[in-house]
Amino acid sequence: MLWLYLHFPHMLLDHLRRHRQSSRPLAILSGQDPRVAQACPEARALGITAGMRLKTALALAPNLDVIQTQPGQDTQVLEAQARWLYRCAAHIALRPPDGLLAEVASLQRLYGGLPAVWQTVAQALETHQLTASMAIGHTPEAARLLARADQGECTADTARIRHRLTGLPLSQAGFDRTTTERLQRLGLTRLGEVLALPPAELARRLSPDALSHLQKIQGTRPDPVQPWHPPHVFRQEVDFLQDIEQSQGLLFPLQRVLSELEEELRWRQQDTDSLHLSLRHRQGDDSRIHLRTAGPEHRAEAFLNLARLHLERHPLSAPVTGLRVCVRRFLARDASRGQDLFGKHSHPEEAWHTLASRLQARLGASALQRLVPRADHRPERAWAAAEALGEPHQQRPAPVLPGHRPLWLLASPYPLGEVPAAWLSGPERIRSGWWDGQPVQRDYYVVQLADGPLAWVFRDLRNDWFIHGWFG
Amino acid sequence: MNELLTTLIQEVRVWPGHRHHRARIPAEATGYRELDEPLGGGWPRGALTECLLDGVGMGELQLVLPAMRRLSRRGKRVFWINPPHIPYAPALDQEDVDLNQVLVIRTNNRGDTLWTLENCLRAPVTGLVLAWPGGLASREIRRLQLAAEAGRSVCILFRDRRQASQNSPAALRLQLTPDGYLGLNIQVLKRRGGRPGQSCTLNTARRAGLAQTEASGVVQGPWTVPRE
Repeated sequence: MLWLYLHFPHMLLDHLRRHRQSSRPLAILSGQDPRVAQACPEARALGITAGMRLKTALALAPNLDVIQTQPGQDTQVLEAQARWLYRCAAHIALRPPDGLLAEVASLQRLYGGLPAVWQTVAQALETHQLTASMAIGHTPEAARLLARADQGECTADTARIRHRLTGLPLSQAGFDRTTTERLQRLGLTRLGEVLALPPAELARRLSPDALSHLQKIQGTRPDPVQPWHPPHVFRQEVDFLQDIEQSQGLLFPLQRVLSELEEELRWRQQDTDSLHLSLRHRQGDDSRIHLRTAGPEHRAEAFLNLARLHLERHPLSAPVTGLRVCVRRFLARDASRGQDLFGKHSHPEEAWHTLASRLQARLGASALQRLVPRADHRPERAWAAAEALGEPHQQRPAPVLPGHRPLWLLASPYPLGEVPAAWLSGPERIRSGWWDGQPVQRDYYVVQLADGPLAWVFRDLRNDWFIHGWFG
Repeated sequence: MNELLTTLIQEVRVWPGHRHHRARIPAEATGYRELDEPLGGGWPRGALTECLLDGVGMGELQLVLPAMRRLSRRGKRVFWINPPHIPYAPALDQEDVDLNQVLVIRTNNRGDTLWTLENCLRAPVTGLVLAWPGGLASREIRRLQLAAEAGRSVCILFRDRRQASQNSPAALRLQLTPDGYLGLNIQVLKRRGGRPGQSCTLNTARRAGLAQTEASGVVQGPWTVPRE
């Protein structure tokens, strides 16, 4: 087996830098007494190094942007990297806090050789704007050590890998501090010298952990690798360096996340129709936005348009410190949908879905209604409002109604305040609903009122007269 | 012919009116032959039509019903934007309108209404837009007119008759008034590429399921009539 290890020396920094537009130096702090944990190249050029106190760093670079790490953040960022690596390699494993492991022996045939695999991963790293050192080893542990020491090269040759490995100084061999010191006191400086010692001798002098570490490097002790599979949910988080106060400012980072979603969906060959966007504030609850497209969708542009519409309608309640996009619902892609071969004529259904999702994003889902007739004799119950994007109602022959129905129905009957100018037809008695507690008994007439319009009026049991509709 | 006139015509100083070709605007037949003539073929497509009327119930929907029936059966969407009352589904069903194509949209403010109208007009799936937009500034109508030109749908705005005096860029403006017994008088206030001032009267007794002539046989019992 051959293992490819990716070591990210400053993964969090890369992750944060991708989502910002300014090119000011940036450093990540850790610990209670804040010290620089990671510094970007611009900051390093100004003399800022890891382990430096915040005060010193700020004195060197007054316009330094600093970010305090949050617990658990690096795991999320690592998973985000694993997600794209999963597209290149089938068998991968997470090595927290900053490493990824991929089995590459089985990939050589697919890619046509090890250099091609290496090239593909290197290219992906570049696309994702990540700094990583890669190394190949015959055991996961060997690959890890080589990558961490930045000694990796693209070769499957056992002798060369072993040569690199034996040349590693003890400080980079992954032992704990006491073991390293003990070995150094024995006069050993390189990993090769330790490996050359007889195993029985090592077992006597080293702790069991250190011995098992050595055996794992050599591959004489099993080192099971827990394979990682991407979860069936898309979740991306962006943390902002500065609070964003204008909703316009959210669109740039959002666009980036959405294009990642688009890529993800393309790889899965799936679509989605609902997307959860939550905006984190410094204080108070997150603002949650649920974006729904009218039909299955995977284009970042479509999601972005909906988000823009929503953000235009609902101003930000407080400055935003971060955002999260989450998709849990995935739909199989339908091949019949979409544009024709030349991409000129979009499908009418698709155009309708685009329009409906735009309207619903701005007006709210309930603002759009379809009308459905229902089998009930009570006029106010003989129709229902249906969701605009629901299933089309089944066409059936229109029921033969005893009388003519007006095109306008009043939401609630309005008292008739005048004597009609002419009685045109009637009465039509409607008596129904005794079974569900809302009985009606009405005599309906078509009348013409004094100033011309035709009304549908009824007289109820108490001899009161109401207008219930207009013949428009 | 008069020598003077001949000279004038030869020197192209006068413009003979009878040779004026009517500008052809693509039109959707209204379904009423007597109305198609003054409208120049029917409801203009890709342009705004304004119907100015007082109140409801004078046959204004009956006027657009044939076009609605035809467009919805052709698979085009029919939008009702901010209708004053509920479009009654059983009646539309009775009139053979495809209800799956009918959509009612209600908006909360004028900005939303205009935005919705514009979006519906530009969409290729739209066949007919009926809107009750309330008061509109001339500039807003102009914007809608441009949106309508981008699409190919029929758009009819129902507005108050008091706005008849307002200057409007709509391609067609009609004034609807009840005419005597069950009739609807349509007066063309403005028509692009045509003469205004024509009018016609439609009998819209059909809308109440009545025969063309006087209805009879109304049973009136000994109950009280509505109080004044």
